[in-house]
Amino acid sequence: MNWQAIALSLKLAVCVAGILLAAGMPIAYWVTFSRWRWKFVVEAVVALPIVLPPTVLGYYLLVGLGPRNFPGRVLQSLFGHTLPFTFGGLLVASVLYSLPFAVQPFSAGLETVDRRLIEAAWTLGASRLATFFRVILPLSAAGAVTGVVLSFAHTIGEFGVVLMVGGNIPGVTRTISIDIYDQAQSGNYAAANHTALLLLLFSFLVLSIIYGTNRRAVSLWRKP
Amino acid sequence: MSLEVAIEKQVQGFRLSVEFKADGAPLGLLGSSGSGKTMTLRAIAGLETPDRGRIVLHGRVLFDSEARINVPARARRIGLLFQNFALFPHLSVAENIAFGLRRLAPQERERRVSQQMTAAHLEGMEDRYPATLSGGEQQRVALARALATEPAALLLDEPFSALDTHLRGALERHLRETLARYAGSTVFVSHNLEEAYRVCEDLVVLARGTAAAQGPKEEIFRHPPTLEVARLTGCKNFSRARRAPDGLIEALDWGCRLRVSQPFARPPEYIAIRAHHVRVLPVGEFKAERRENIFPCRLVAMTETPFRVTLDLRIIGNMGGPAESEPASGAEFQIQAEVFKQQWDSFRDVPQPWLVELSPERVFLLPD
Repeated sequence: MNWQAIALSLKLAVCVAGILLAAGMPIAYWVTFSRWRWKFVVEAVVALPIVLPPTVLGYYLLVGLGPRNFPGRVLQSLFGHTLPFTFGGLLVASVLYSLPFAVQPFSAGLETVDRRLIEAAWTLGASRLATFFRVILPLSAAGAVTGVVLSFAHTIGEFGVVLMVGGNIPGVTRTISIDIYDQAQSGNYAAANHTALLLLLFSFLVLSIIYGTNRRAVSLWRKP
Repeated sequence: MSLEVAIEKQVQGFRLSVEFKADGAPLGLLGSSGSGKTMTLRAIAGLETPDRGRIVLHGRVLFDSEARINVPARARRIGLLFQNFALFPHLSVAENIAFGLRRLAPQERERRVSQQMTAAHLEGMEDRYPATLSGGEQQRVALARALATEPAALLLDEPFSALDTHLRGALERHLRETLARYAGSTVFVSHNLEEAYRVCEDLVVLARGTAAAQGPKEEIFRHPPTLEVARLTGCKNFSRARRAPDGLIEALDWGCRLRVSQPFARPPEYIAIRAHHVRVLPVGEFKAERRENIFPCRLVAMTETPFRVTLDLRIIGNMGGPAESEPASGAEFQIQAEVFKQQWDSFRDVPQPWLVELSPERVFLLPD
């Protein structure tokens, strides 16, 4: 078993889940509570990675983050090197690729919060930020947990974007799914099988947690 | 201590345009659903932005469209009691009441919470969660939560509508006592006129976004300014009216002429009387010296409620002669009388016709 690849995947997934919790929640909040009429455009953009082939997203990121384009050059001057084929590049790509898997459950969770509770918090003097942390977040915790777990799992399992943007550098960008691909390509089926089974069990566990906690979270405040 | 409101807002289907002032005594906003009363309350609380107008609370401008002032809800210091109470389900009773007290020192916070818990008769329920409370307890927690922040005004949005009838009496008493102690301005929204009458001193009657009547409650109930207000305040009997000789008023739909003690300058469009002011008596009780506004009648229909009976009566003539004008036929022109069961039992077996008295002090005239 390639522990280096497993460790890398875990590190990447933890970073992505953390970033998406911090960055995806404000997006989800805006999507849920904004009354802007063109809101759907933003929603569609956020949801793009669900339908887009990973290679397409990966291609644009590779080109966009590369030294020939503006975003790439800005990042180059910031970090001293371009992002493709580095862990940083992998992180940017993974965050974008998993964005809808965080934002949509967050937003579904926020949707379940009774507007009157939010208004009640305001009339009691709470600021918008305080209202978010004291009322909205606790009441939509199930959505937040689902979003974090889903983006974590989705990052563990991604392949196309990683290959396009990160390549296959051991210890830097060779994640668990690429390792399986490598093993299978070189005819090393026993090793591929081990890792694949690990991923399968992991995915099953994650989904079980999500469905299990969601049901509990729904009934959490209803009963003593 | 006063709350001055003068706002306009385009709402779906109508234009809200109200102006009123609430002083120390509770002010009632009375109106049917969709009349704009909840919208008015939300605008005062800062949850809706009026298109135009001004809201001033104890000299502090909360909203002024011309000066571009719009104080956010969190800074208005207005307590709002929501129709469904809006208790935070993830917080205990004590945490709910302490929600708006974050800025206070812990000792002061605890003092206020326990003070409100006592006042709301919630002792021992500190650690309970809203889902385990009865509707009445939830209402008391919500009221305590709003009062704990010592708001400059208190807004109550149909506080009894989510409760079972048997709970209302005691809770209403609790609310009246609480409001009597409360120093700020209170606005009480209700569609139940009796409730509004009991809780408030002054009333604003809203109909399709505008105030159809406003003033002291006795005045509004005794002399509703329009047909609509009369209906909204629960009056059931109306008849088209015109002047008749001898200073009488002819009630065209009831088919009788009536003496009215209310002075009335303009030509009246309608004459009205409340169902519980209509007196029904057996012919035997008729005294010759009192014959004005008393007519023979027949019972057309009756409805029984536990303690009262509603009688639909039709006037069939005049004392000592036929009716001056033939009533327009049809069931809609009956007079509804509401009498207590005991009274009903005293004359129910007496052969008809009976007598109906529409006392000159009780009938009132309305413009269109």
